[in-house]
Amino acid sequence: MSVVNAGKRLCIEGLTKTYATRSGESVAALGPISVDVRPSEFLVIVGPTGCGKSTLLQILAGFLSPTEGRALVGDEPIIGPSIDRSMVFQSYALFPWLSVLENVEFGLQRKDISKSQRREIALRHLKMVGLQDFANKSIDELSGGMKQRVAIARAFAVDPSIMLMDEPFGALDALTRRLLQRELLRIWHEQQRTVVFITHSVEEAIFLADRILVMSSRPGQIKAEWSVTAPRPRDVTSEELRQLERKIYALLDEELMKSFSPGSGIS
Amino acid sequence: MSFSLAPLRKISRVLPFIYAAIVIVAVWQLVVTVTKPEPSVLPAPGAVAIAFEHLLRNGELATDAAYSLARVVVAWLLSAIIAIPLGLLMGSSQRLERLVNPFVELFRPISPLAWIPMAILWFGIGESGKIFVVFIGTFFPILLSTVAGVKEVDPVLLHAGRVFGCTSRTSLFRRVVVPAAMPSVVVGLRVAFGTGWAAIIAAELVAAHTGLGYLIANGMDVLRADLVLVGMIAIGVLGFLFDAVFRYAQQRYSRHG
Repeated sequence: MSVVNAGKRLCIEGLTKTYATRSGESVAALGPISVDVRPSEFLVIVGPTGCGKSTLLQILAGFLSPTEGRALVGDEPIIGPSIDRSMVFQSYALFPWLSVLENVEFGLQRKDISKSQRREIALRHLKMVGLQDFANKSIDELSGGMKQRVAIARAFAVDPSIMLMDEPFGALDALTRRLLQRELLRIWHEQQRTVVFITHSVEEAIFLADRILVMSSRPGQIKAEWSVTAPRPRDVTSEELRQLERKIYALLDEELMKSFSPGSGIS
Repeated sequence: MSFSLAPLRKISRVLPFIYAAIVIVAVWQLVVTVTKPEPSVLPAPGAVAIAFEHLLRNGELATDAAYSLARVVVAWLLSAIIAIPLGLLMGSSQRLERLVNPFVELFRPISPLAWIPMAILWFGIGESGKIFVVFIGTFFPILLSTVAGVKEVDPVLLHAGRVFGCTSRTSLFRRVVVPAAMPSVVVGLRVAFGTGWAAIIAAELVAAHTGLGYLIANGMDVLRADLVLVGMIAIGVLGFLFDAVFRYAQQRYSRHG
């Protein structure tokens, strides 16, 4: 049966990404950045728009190669996409021609998994997100929140050691978002995977994270980091967490001001 | 609730077309009553209805429609068999697209109708000439729509495919690109059937002894405008019905995947 994978350590060592513009100039988008993510840690990265946090996640997913530095899972360097690094996308990225169940089964189509096993694993993960009764529905029939649950089920079903989440709740309404944050924490608690979660919601970061990284504006570097030790479920309106929120906002405001001030090179 | 509303909705969808048909016949009758044209120039709707019934009863209309339809279907399938795979490959390989596209762009503006004389010279007036003309007319819509379908696949779906186990280009192509492009392919098939239907009539006008196009051409030769109009009505109604079938299939496809 499916081997229960624990989360692995994710080591980011001096990553940078530089793009060449059409006029031949090179623009530093990211880094250098170094982070050591503990096994099964829930790491949340917040940063202003355009700070390169999505670029970082693309490198971790293996879609982009870094200009300098490297990233390691355990002690294996990342050289391309792998099913061991699963992903949840902001726009869900479900396959509209497949049913809900078939979407969750998509990543399980491997020779070492029989058809009945595949079905069993997929159904178990649909149940985990509360959608077992929607297995045969088509994707178009689901609301945004339900789609993202299917995507979460698909991402966990492949038994990954790292879970990459690119603003997964960014397109959802506030209430659905709260609900899915709670569900994600429950699933993460049960499954103990390493999570790298990107958001621009400070409140979301505080609610979810073991550790929060605040990124600077372009080229994105780590400006500050906090460990959040308050027990879960957290009350983000508590004085302690409000204070943290204020500090993070102060930093982000500073970064945003930089990118708007004249002479910063970014208009 | 949706069950009780379904028949009503169906009627309301057909209603505009019934209305248009009534207006057309009324205007037609009005013109005939006021201007009193020669029946060989513009017969009254009633006279055309009689001719229609006659051709329907002796089976000529059905035979001609079947000939035209069979030619379109054969040519259209032939186009699909070649254009869909070619389009899928062109959409995913820039090199192949660069290689093939100049030919497509040069041949595409030449209407299938302009090929009719060459088709007669090459194939005579047998079936292959007409199928050739319809093939030209159906090939490009299917090809271009397929290429566009592949190119417009949401990049995030490609990312998702690669994360979730498509490790090679071929498996990504088979499991993500092809199904994602399918709705656009179906649009191409639908459009192509329409252009094919137009092309076959033209080809039959020039070189045929059967088919709805022939019915029209023959009606003109014997100065029977009522036969011409019967042919035109049959072409219009059948073309409309085929398109409705495609639209229905398209809706089903997009709903159930």
